[in-house]
Amino acid sequence: MISLVLFSLIILIGLLTLGVPLPFCFGGSLFVMAVFGGVTMKGMLMWGFNQLINPVLLCMPLFVLAGNLMANGGIARSLLDFVNVFVGRIKGGLGIVSVITCAVIGAVTGSGFTGVAATGPILIPRMEEEGYPRGYATALCTCSSTLGLLIPPSTLMIIYGWITGTSILACFLATIGPGLLLMLLFIIINFFYVRKNPNIKLDEELQKRSTPKIFVSRFWKAIPALMMPVIILGGIYGGVFTPTEAAAVGVVYSIPIGFWVYKGLTFKDWVDVTVESTTAVGSIMFMIIFCLMLSQTFVFLQIPQAIVKLMFSITDNTHMILIMINVLLFVLGMLVNDVTGVVLAAPMLLPLVIKIGVSPIHFAAIMAVNLGLGGLTPPYASLLYLGMRIGNVEFMEIIKPTLILLLFGFIPVVLITSFFPSVVMFIPSMFGFVH
Amino acid sequence: MDKTIKGISGFFRWVLFILMTSIVVLVVVQVFLRYVLKSSLMGIEEVLLFPAIWVYFIGAANASMEGSQIKANILDVYIKDEKLFFLERLVMSLLSSGIVLWLTYWGYDYFTYSIHAWKKTASLYVPLFYGESAVFICLVMISVFTLRELYMNYKNLRRAKIAHSDIKEDLR
Repeated sequence: MISLVLFSLIILIGLLTLGVPLPFCFGGSLFVMAVFGGVTMKGMLMWGFNQLINPVLLCMPLFVLAGNLMANGGIARSLLDFVNVFVGRIKGGLGIVSVITCAVIGAVTGSGFTGVAATGPILIPRMEEEGYPRGYATALCTCSSTLGLLIPPSTLMIIYGWITGTSILACFLATIGPGLLLMLLFIIINFFYVRKNPNIKLDEELQKRSTPKIFVSRFWKAIPALMMPVIILGGIYGGVFTPTEAAAVGVVYSIPIGFWVYKGLTFKDWVDVTVESTTAVGSIMFMIIFCLMLSQTFVFLQIPQAIVKLMFSITDNTHMILIMINVLLFVLGMLVNDVTGVVLAAPMLLPLVIKIGVSPIHFAAIMAVNLGLGGLTPPYASLLYLGMRIGNVEFMEIIKPTLILLLFGFIPVVLITSFFPSVVMFIPSMFGFVH
Repeated sequence: MDKTIKGISGFFRWVLFILMTSIVVLVVVQVFLRYVLKSSLMGIEEVLLFPAIWVYFIGAANASMEGSQIKANILDVYIKDEKLFFLERLVMSLLSSGIVLWLTYWGYDYFTYSIHAWKKTASLYVPLFYGESAVFICLVMISVFTLRELYMNYKNLRRAKIAHSDIKEDLR
């Protein structure tokens, strides 16, 4: 049976490499399992459909839509200007603005892709104007956009909570600590990276006018954008809304904001953004259903138990097992996108992590940081490729600054998240999710 | 062909917009009823299930039509030769077509099962077939778009081959 699973995984990687769309890659692996392993496709389709009609999942399209409406409505520029008030006088301040704006946009949109798509076109040219190398500006925006996976509400955490039966609210809180830490490290790296660059200029308006005046005017403009996470997260954690309701309220809030406050939306944009969001969600769901079915066939074949046995036959040291899990997740993240990684690996690895005493809430954060790191590492660096397209830079221009950000930013966060659970668990425990 | 695709695209556009907007409205109405009118709408989760399922599957069909299904495209970064590039595309769409046709066959099996079983939701007794049928219907649409892509890739490869032989002729 193990050889059959390995064969189906080889087929999966082969199809992926050839550029076959992900849902069909899983379809190809399912074909192997059905033809050679006797898996019944009718039963699998019934099971997959029943998973898909879970009401919990409905918050995902709504969050994606709310985020895209805000992102297209002109939120990014007002946030950027506002954050710049605090750091615009520091050399490298715009780099800090880039990191923080991506984090806030991430909090609004819940995805890394929307983060880089919303901030990249504004930030990268502006950073270049202020003397930043284009490759570095693109790398910083792209890497910072992974904060969207960590700062709640994150679609990745919705999927993880749904698959593992863990509280989605607890998963949202678990990634805040690593998210803030990553943000801080990116800011520090940016500071050192631009310190000796003589080409870096400072915000001219900030040099001319007094800061409090600019602060008031820019804060006023940024209030509607800053209110979005407050409404969503405040509503959820205040017990006013369920995540699905909060997401729908977020959509309703973002429409007048986009139309009349930021004036970035028209009726045509509204329709376009809705269609774009539903298409993105459709392609994710279509992939999820087949990925879930494949993952379930592995569960039927008791692969998670085999993984537990295999790991314990190598070592029973908890730290060593955690390192192996991290490596496995990182490699997985390099091959597939973050959502697929969660759907495929969470049911496989959860029995193992529970056995070594890691809480499912802690594991949510471990998965998120590893898959985020994988999404920036070639060959399947989906976020990096998107960043390259948006920033219009070549691979060789972006890879060096990206590696610096990964090496000194992401990897320490992955290690801290894995080996210092309190960084992850202190916020969920404040809200009573950890006993 | 282009006219048909344009027509389907326009149809998808409005269906997706209407379905998604109806989901938002239903959820917000539920919140409004709970907090303002202090009452609740019975079985709203069951009602929401149907537009949600259709949004997922029509969204997926739309992604196939646009060619925006999630892919890795690892080889594209390394293949520089145009002929080889289109050959890889042809192999990719050939494999995709085979797999999607196999999945559609099982989608049909599920469709007939759904008619036969005629299961209903727990509280409003709405037949689940109205949601389950989305799987087969959208798989058929995805098959059509994948086969169209296969045909396009075949045409592109032929064009690249002709262009390549023309260049060779010129060099001679």
